[in-house]
Amino acid sequence: MLRRKNLRPVAQLTIPTWIFLALVVLIPFFYGVYISFLNINLASFLPPNFVGFENYQTVLVASETWSTLRITLIITFIGLLTQIPLGILLALVLHENLRGTKIFRSILITPMLLTPVAVGLTYRFMFDTDLGVINWALGSIGIEKVNWLGSQTSALFAIIIVDSWQSVPFVMLLVLAALTAISPSLYEAARVDGASASQIFRRITLPLITPTLLVITMIKIMDFLKLFDTLFILTRGGPGNATTTLGLWTYKTGFVFLEFSRAAALGVIITIITLPVYFLWRRASRVVR
Amino acid sequence: MILKRSASYSLLIGASFFSLFPLFWTISTSIKDRVDTYSLPPKFFSFTPTLKNYTSLFALEKFWQIYSNSIIITLGSTLICLVIGSLAAYALARKPRFRGRTPLEGLMIAVRALPAIVLLLPIYKLSSFLGLYDSKIGLILIFAGFNIPFAIWLLMSFFEQIPVEIEESARVDGASTFKLFTRIILPLAAPGLVATGIFVSLLSWNEFLIPVIMAGENSKTLPVLVASFISNRTLDWGPMAAAATVALIPIVLLTVVIQRWLVAGLSSGAVKE
Repeated sequence: MLRRKNLRPVAQLTIPTWIFLALVVLIPFFYGVYISFLNINLASFLPPNFVGFENYQTVLVASETWSTLRITLIITFIGLLTQIPLGILLALVLHENLRGTKIFRSILITPMLLTPVAVGLTYRFMFDTDLGVINWALGSIGIEKVNWLGSQTSALFAIIIVDSWQSVPFVMLLVLAALTAISPSLYEAARVDGASASQIFRRITLPLITPTLLVITMIKIMDFLKLFDTLFILTRGGPGNATTTLGLWTYKTGFVFLEFSRAAALGVIITIITLPVYFLWRRASRVVR
Repeated sequence: MILKRSASYSLLIGASFFSLFPLFWTISTSIKDRVDTYSLPPKFFSFTPTLKNYTSLFALEKFWQIYSNSIIITLGSTLICLVIGSLAAYALARKPRFRGRTPLEGLMIAVRALPAIVLLLPIYKLSSFLGLYDSKIGLILIFAGFNIPFAIWLLMSFFEQIPVEIEESARVDGASTFKLFTRIILPLAAPGLVATGIFVSLLSWNEFLIPVIMAGENSKTLPVLVASFISNRTLDWGPMAAAATVALIPIVLLTVVIQRWLVAGLSSGAVKE
């Protein structure tokens, strides 16, 4: 009796949240789909017309869509290969629980809390060709000056370095949580059986943290699709469009070239790309829990 | 064993250096003279500190307005997140099943999963209809909407720690759900509310894409100001570093306060439902 009576008030508690999420997610999403079938240009005062799939056709034929998708994939791929191993390594070291671990953990997570725009600015200064502290440090070990943000390859590297600086702590924290959940008795048993450190890592640790690594991979893929702030500050997608990701391209299409409906179509395409990642994330997340 | 330990320590110390150096570099650039900023080899400690960059930053026409915008929008949206989020978080933490739970969680996850630009394009268009473009109220509402899921995930983990028995005995004594929530649950979850509040205000304080799209001259926030330095052709790193420092310092101070709950906050929404 008590239960049934209280069921309703509980569901009602979520109504305000529903309203807010409807305002920022539900309505905008469907309205965005609607916009993608019109021909809105922010610079034009003509009333918009319904144009069917024209924007999708334009966007799918445009070379920029594919080149920016390619750049997004490159950043994602190299970023994952950098951040996940580094995150695992740091988590393993923190997991040893040496003296001072707590302080080190606090220091290591600081980067992920800092304002990305300010971080981007700082790195832009540090990456400066002539005055930057990075080229100076490289110079002192005999490496020639790099025009970091001036060419595609090095700019992509710079972007990945800055993103890694802010994201490795996230990987580290999630891996650390997974490591803490592993029962110490497993390690003891392995040690009794005479297993080496690398055997223990490959046979016990790695399989047990694999579901977490999958979750991290999926979240990171979504985050790379979102990448905006630091990218915007570091290169603004340049030189040219050499470091423009699909998300930044959507922004440029809508707010720089004012092709609003085309940008909305790109938004729908990004959503479609996100969907499979999203489902894999949910599945992996359930295993972890 | 000793070898391994010293390897671990050198790794930790090295990683700590890389984590803190950019922060150190921003702050030190912000208190350097122009000459010291551009000197090679770089001056790490041997310079005379100056507040010049800060005086020129504070002298910017709109600096204080922008600064107060950031504070108002951060506080406003955080307050909304806490009030509305705690209601929903309580429901989600206490009742495993109710109508509308699954789609609600789906929406919350969509906020985490989708690039904000996808939603901000239509929001921009809608808010110009509603006259919410470049208004602080509009920004507060949008910030709140985007941050509510994080507030809920984090608050849920605190509510789940409150024993159900406490509620049951209060119910037997005849307390209504509302009374139960405001008089018993919220006070018990007070530290959680503080931690969530600080965490959500960090998210708002750092937010860039929403104000860059939705804010004009009236409601610009600090990150937009910091970013605007870069578009000027004259790159003057001193005041720029001062602006960045002004944005970063409150974060560093706040995170010291919530150190204990940071880990929960930072991974919220990643593995939990």
